[in-house]
Amino acid sequence: MCSCIFLGNQKKDIMSKAKAQQPAVIHKVIMVGSGGVGKSALTLQFMYDEFVEDYEPTKADSYRKKVVLDGEEVQIDILDTAGQEDYAAIRDNYFRSGEGFLCVFSITEQESFQATAEFREQILRVKNVNSDKSDDSIPFLLVGNKADLEDKRQVPVEEAQQRCQQWKVPYVETSAKTRANVDKAFYDLLRIMNKAKLNPRAGGKSNTLPYKKSATLKSSNVPKLKADADEQKEIKNQQKCCILQ
Amino acid sequence: MSRSGPPLVTGVAPKEGPPGTRITIRGENLGYDPKDLIGVKICGVDCLLAADWKSPSKIIARSGPGKGKGDIIVITKSGGQGTCTVGFKGYYVQIGPLQESAIWIDESQSVSSNLRHGRPSSPLFSKDDEDPLGISDEGNQAKFSEEDLLELFPEASGNMSIENFSSSWYLLENHHSTSFDDLRAGLAHMKRKAKHRSEGPIAFVKTNLSSTLDCLDSLQNMYSKFCTDDIRGEFINSYAVLLMQAKSCADGLFQEVLGRKDKADSTRNALSVLQRFKFLFYLPLNLQRNIQKGDYNMVINDYIRARSLFADTQVQVFRKVYKEVENQINEFRDMLKQKLMELPNSLENQKKLIKYLISLECSGDPAWECLVNQQKWLTTILLRCKEQHLQEEKESQPNGDVFGTPQKTSNLSRAKPGDSNSLKLEHGSSKFTNPQRIMYIEELCEILTYNLPDLWKLGQAYFSGALIVKEQTGEKAFKIDVSKHSQFKQMITDTISLFSNLVRAAFLPQTLPEKLSAEDKTKYGQWNQVIPGDWLPSCVRHIRNCVWSLSLLDLPGESPTVINDLAFDMRTNCMFTLLKQAISDIQQLHIKETWIVETDDESGGTTQLPALFENIVNETIQHLHEVVVQNKQGEPEIFGQRTVQKDSTQLCSELLQAFVPCLDCLAFTPVMAGGSSNTADDSKKRFSTSSMDFEEHSLQFDKRLIIMLSNCSHTMERIIPRLVENLNKHGYVEMNKALQTTRERYEELDSKLFEAYIEEKSNPIVGAIEQNMYRGRFDWKTCRKPVGVRNYLKDVIMKMIEVHAEVFAVSPSFVTRVTQKVVESVSEEITRVIECVTEFNEHGKLQARVELKALQETVKLYITPHAKLLEDLLNKYKSQMKFQMMCFYGDSLLRNSVSA
Repeated sequence: MCSCIFLGNQKKDIMSKAKAQQPAVIHKVIMVGSGGVGKSALTLQFMYDEFVEDYEPTKADSYRKKVVLDGEEVQIDILDTAGQEDYAAIRDNYFRSGEGFLCVFSITEQESFQATAEFREQILRVKNVNSDKSDDSIPFLLVGNKADLEDKRQVPVEEAQQRCQQWKVPYVETSAKTRANVDKAFYDLLRIMNKAKLNPRAGGKSNTLPYKKSATLKSSNVPKLKADADEQKEIKNQQKCCILQ
Repeated sequence: MSRSGPPLVTGVAPKEGPPGTRITIRGENLGYDPKDLIGVKICGVDCLLAADWKSPSKIIARSGPGKGKGDIIVITKSGGQGTCTVGFKGYYVQIGPLQESAIWIDESQSVSSNLRHGRPSSPLFSKDDEDPLGISDEGNQAKFSEEDLLELFPEASGNMSIENFSSSWYLLENHHSTSFDDLRAGLAHMKRKAKHRSEGPIAFVKTNLSSTLDCLDSLQNMYSKFCTDDIRGEFINSYAVLLMQAKSCADGLFQEVLGRKDKADSTRNALSVLQRFKFLFYLPLNLQRNIQKGDYNMVINDYIRARSLFADTQVQVFRKVYKEVENQINEFRDMLKQKLMELPNSLENQKKLIKYLISLECSGDPAWECLVNQQKWLTTILLRCKEQHLQEEKESQPNGDVFGTPQKTSNLSRAKPGDSNSLKLEHGSSKFTNPQRIMYIEELCEILTYNLPDLWKLGQAYFSGALIVKEQTGEKAFKIDVSKHSQFKQMITDTISLFSNLVRAAFLPQTLPEKLSAEDKTKYGQWNQVIPGDWLPSCVRHIRNCVWSLSLLDLPGESPTVINDLAFDMRTNCMFTLLKQAISDIQQLHIKETWIVETDDESGGTTQLPALFENIVNETIQHLHEVVVQNKQGEPEIFGQRTVQKDSTQLCSELLQAFVPCLDCLAFTPVMAGGSSNTADDSKKRFSTSSMDFEEHSLQFDKRLIIMLSNCSHTMERIIPRLVENLNKHGYVEMNKALQTTRERYEELDSKLFEAYIEEKSNPIVGAIEQNMYRGRFDWKTCRKPVGVRNYLKDVIMKMIEVHAEVFAVSPSFVTRVTQKVVESVSEEITRVIECVTEFNEHGKLQARVELKALQETVKLYITPHAKLLEDLLNKYKSQMKFQMMCFYGDSLLRNSVSA
């Protein structure tokens, strides 16, 4: 309760500030990935710093909040989609409205990693982008979730990284449970999206540019984020000392 | 607490749904406790009642009847009215007029305009039905035009509400660019929807509990309000008017739809009725045509179809036509029955016909009727066959020939197969065609072997149920098995007994039961003449073939016994007859003696008679073996029965001995018959020519004797053992006994012949000795000095040489035996004559001595124990004449030395 209030207060300040400015930029992020890899968990962790233990399949959830990205306030609109095959048919509609994609898989489940390729294909198809020559590259980030379950890892880091190089997309390993790299994943994607929106037709040069830039930006941003995370960790440790163990 | 600001909703899960959707609302400052929360508005509808406060950042609510995209506003005491960054999209699952719904649907938009214009609108479909697969992926690709689709599916439509809806059309029209996986997902979606729909009212009420409770509350409220209000009559009336209006309005709305549906139904009914109608009216013609074409299966199928459709029809016209069909089918049935009863008919054909009849549900039991009929028919043709042949034989008899009508033209082509030539020659029966009875037996066998298997197989098929069409197994088939099986067995047995009796009547009348009435006797036929033996083997062959082929059928009950007995009797009869035949043949052999002596080194000279004898016996054995003795599978051993064994042994031994009288007769009879004076002198004169004198039948007696002796010995030594061995080989029993007796007979004959011959030969020689000795008034007392052996002795020796030559010419092996005997008798005679001499002078003594010595030297080789007598005599003589001998002895020494 205490922490909630504390956080709430902290955020409230940001909010009130954001409200005044009414940022025009809304980044529409879509969470994609197989069922049960932790899309909703990542989203909720990012949005509300909470980790939901029970599993309830998502249909289509919508979240939106203001975040400060490199000193600039933007709105992030997250569409948490259903991973289950049952809803595969309605994905196309969602994908069409999406601007950036967090493609999530579980490092403890090889199948989910394999499925990312299908998701990417579907996205590229809906977005009318030829996957071979990614001129109009879609902001896309590959996320390996459940990094805290290292002992059950099935997907080696190298394998994931190799796929990312092939796709020319960044790779982040996260843990929705420990909140490790959760913010980094979202912020990295936001930066790429930001860049893409600034240069709608970047051409061959911009191919690597957002990535590079994000890397540089990241370095400036990391301490803050990290501090953030650490702080929260401490708080959580005080509350429940078993989370990280 | 006081610091909490206005609520802010930043998350909604899910972001859209129909009224009643459970929504998780997340955000900030959503109230510090449940009581702090005083309002939740979703799409402008207050959903506080259904809202469940969980935490200041989480509320779980249910969406109300808000429609379209709207805000989610949370109101708290502490923070007042809040804002939101996300919205909820409420949509109606638009309810069709016949679909259940827990909430009030505003139909004004969809219905009222129609009401006003009174114009029918296309049926309403829910949002789900508009996109049943849940894939609203309409790419930018060009769609197929309706014309193209119409061309592709001329009979179909893409409209789901129309009967000829084609899913292919629909998919091409709406999803032709959708991937297969998406389509699969769509299918899963559709299935889920369908499942959801089928869950029923309880699930429906459960999911819409709040609305239902709302309704109940409202009703309660209304009720209490009505109770408190004083309702006037006019008020009620106006309600009634309104209700009537509403009713007529609803009627108007549905009337047209329902009316059209009715019309469509009746049209469809009419169409299907027409279809049946057409079929039925064409049926009689079709049936006729198919019957003519022989396409019976088609006829039956058509009929069964018609029956299932129209058997119970109440419509007059149908009844009439159906009756016609029934009549036709009855005729068809009769035709099939008739066909079935027509014989002969192939088994397959019969089975087919029976199946047809059964599937036509023919009254009675066609298969059984067919069986009975066939058995009767078989009996009839057997009897008819008998009558016919009996008749023909009778007709042929006046021609003076019993065994067959002479048909010289066809004589050669109809040579009897496998009959022995020797037997044929004897009887000359090859001049004629097969005797009537052989043809008769052939035909009988043929009839039985061709028809009985069919009958039996048909019966088996009948009892195994193979003839019963599947649908009708059950009680019917069961009934058949129990009641008629033994009857059928009896039928088979009867047929076979009839056959057996017919054959017996023709060939073995003595084996028919003695108590047979005259009627039965004529039934089986009375044949007068006994069939000649040389035809029997072919009869037996026929019968056995017939029996063998029948035994393959695995016939039931006594039938195999009856038929096997018949075959056995035929075999034994045949064997005995053939053996008897052979015996008589052998006895007749003497006619064929040619008297040509053929000499070979081993067996000596024989005529061809023994060879003929051996041939006859061997051929008979061979023939019998082929026809009678050799067992086919399942036949009893012919020598298995004691009586048969005994008889056959007896006959065999007779067979072997039959040659004896023949030889005997040859050797002696013609002498008596011819009465020719065969003197010893004649024989001497003709000796030189006798071997070539084969043309002349009345050969010299002694010649005949020696030839027959040779034949006899040859037969005894070589042929008989060979034959016995052969007989043994072929399974005849107790041949050793036969051999023994035969041998005795032959030995008897042999000695008889021998004695006769010796007598014949030695008598002239012996008789001449004394006479010749004293020829020229010779006297031992007045004997002059001997000059050499006298002529009489030379003559004797010459005669013995003659005998020797004669015997040698015929059979060198007899020479010793005969010569010994002759020499013995000659020696005896000389001894006797010399012994009778009372007195010798010196020269006489010398003469006698010289002659005796000469004889002794000549026949030294043939000395026998009897000749010892002569020796003794000589010794006696020597001792008597010692003195003289001494005297000569010295002389001879002297002479020897002089000559030396």
